[in-house]
Amino acid sequence: MREYQLYKSVYCGLCRHLGKDYGILARLTLSYDCTVFAMLSMSLKNEKCTVTNGRCTCNPFKKCLMCDSTEGESFAFAGAVSVIMSYYKLCDTINDSGFLKRTAAGFLRLLLKRNYQKAAKRFPDIDRSVEEMMEKQLAAEKENVGIDRAAEPTAQLVSKLCEMLSSSQSEKRVLGVFGYYVGRWIYLMDAADDLEDDAKHKCFNPFRSKLGNDIKETMTYCNETLNMTDAQLIMAYELLPISSYKDVLDNIIYKGIPKQQEYCLFEKKNENRRKKKEKNYFDYLNHQEWQK
Amino acid sequence: MSDPYKVLNVPRSASDDEIKKAYRKLAMKYHPDRYQNSPLADQAAEKMKEINAAYDQILKERKGAGTSSYGGYSYSGSTSYYSDGRASVYVHVRQLIISEQFDEAENILSGIASTERNAEWYYLMGVLSYRKGWLEEARNYIETACRMDPANVEYASMYRKVMDQRSGSAGGYRPNQDTSCTNGCCEFLSCVICANCCCDNCCGG
Repeated sequence: MREYQLYKSVYCGLCRHLGKDYGILARLTLSYDCTVFAMLSMSLKNEKCTVTNGRCTCNPFKKCLMCDSTEGESFAFAGAVSVIMSYYKLCDTINDSGFLKRTAAGFLRLLLKRNYQKAAKRFPDIDRSVEEMMEKQLAAEKENVGIDRAAEPTAQLVSKLCEMLSSSQSEKRVLGVFGYYVGRWIYLMDAADDLEDDAKHKCFNPFRSKLGNDIKETMTYCNETLNMTDAQLIMAYELLPISSYKDVLDNIIYKGIPKQQEYCLFEKKNENRRKKKEKNYFDYLNHQEWQK
Repeated sequence: MSDPYKVLNVPRSASDDEIKKAYRKLAMKYHPDRYQNSPLADQAAEKMKEINAAYDQILKERKGAGTSSYGGYSYSGSTSYYSDGRASVYVHVRQLIISEQFDEAENILSGIASTERNAEWYYLMGVLSYRKGWLEEARNYIETACRMDPANVEYASMYRKVMDQRSGSAGGYRPNQDTSCTNGCCEFLSCVICANCCCDNCCGG
């Protein structure tokens, strides 16, 4: 329970930081992935933060704990990642969606554009890496590549982002490998989750060739692929000099990731096939694990 | 040098048994067999050295100087890259892998005509893919190597490692299993023992 609160406080702190740095719309781009990224950064840089009681600005009736990072370097970095990624994701949606979705995405992109420009100017490295990733992803999907190659652009991107968190060469190497497998996991998890929808709409999906009559068998295959990625991810993680937030990060790596696989690949399918994603594993864990 | 108790993550007041336990736990975690063919094998080896040194120092401090024979785990680097006189090109590729020239190794392997590719070719491609993070290809290559030469212990041990990871015993989610033992410490232990046997066989043979 304590870990969850700490995690929540980073989420709220980061959200507020985004609001201060960019504006109300940028707050909405914040994802759980970026929060984890911020925590990893704070842990490696050993940044202290003070937790204060505050109120959620989006929902003033909700009280919450907020983490104020005194140095703020991690928050600024993770915030920029969040804004830049969201901007490019909107560009992607504009390119390959139906009319309604495309119009909505176009409108949002217009609103987010200035935030994006500000973030990209401050962190040109992030911008370049994300742009490159998007191009490579598009090319990979056009060529209808296999699982490893399809995951490569995202894996490389997260690898680069993680490398930016340290200046020591040997740490950079471990972070690069760790990031590679985190990116690979994120991409493949998402792909496995979307598999049935993509097959229905005839969209690219790296697992499509594994799709058979028995969906459970297919999901078992996806799970094995993810497990092997987890094994590599953990090996790298255990070589990282994690200082603060170790309990939360451990919880995510050893419990959150398996839970997410279980939920997305097996439970959700039984629970409600139609209901579209996306329940984040933290919401899920909130009920399952941390409430205990 | 850093505080050996800190390295082993035990309080100074810990008993000898507790220290031994902590040491074994860490030694398993950073064991060279676990990191075999991983791009971070060298860093794990560094960590292992640190753990061995810390354990050694604590033993020395506690028992007085001169008793450093704790039989610790050692990192024996490249023992798995043995060769039994197969075509010299594969010996060369193995040497390239040891000296971390992966692109060059892959270039040479790709240059071998598909009709001449034997089990060793598939195994080495598997190792290179594994290192690169292309885990699905790694699995396929290694599986093919095992199918072509089922008697080879080196291929079999790598294949077992891959399948172990896929099952979730090294992290991840294991379906049809109680969550009580998800970290699979027991499996990992037995796996290390097996791998050791395999290594011994290789070196002996």
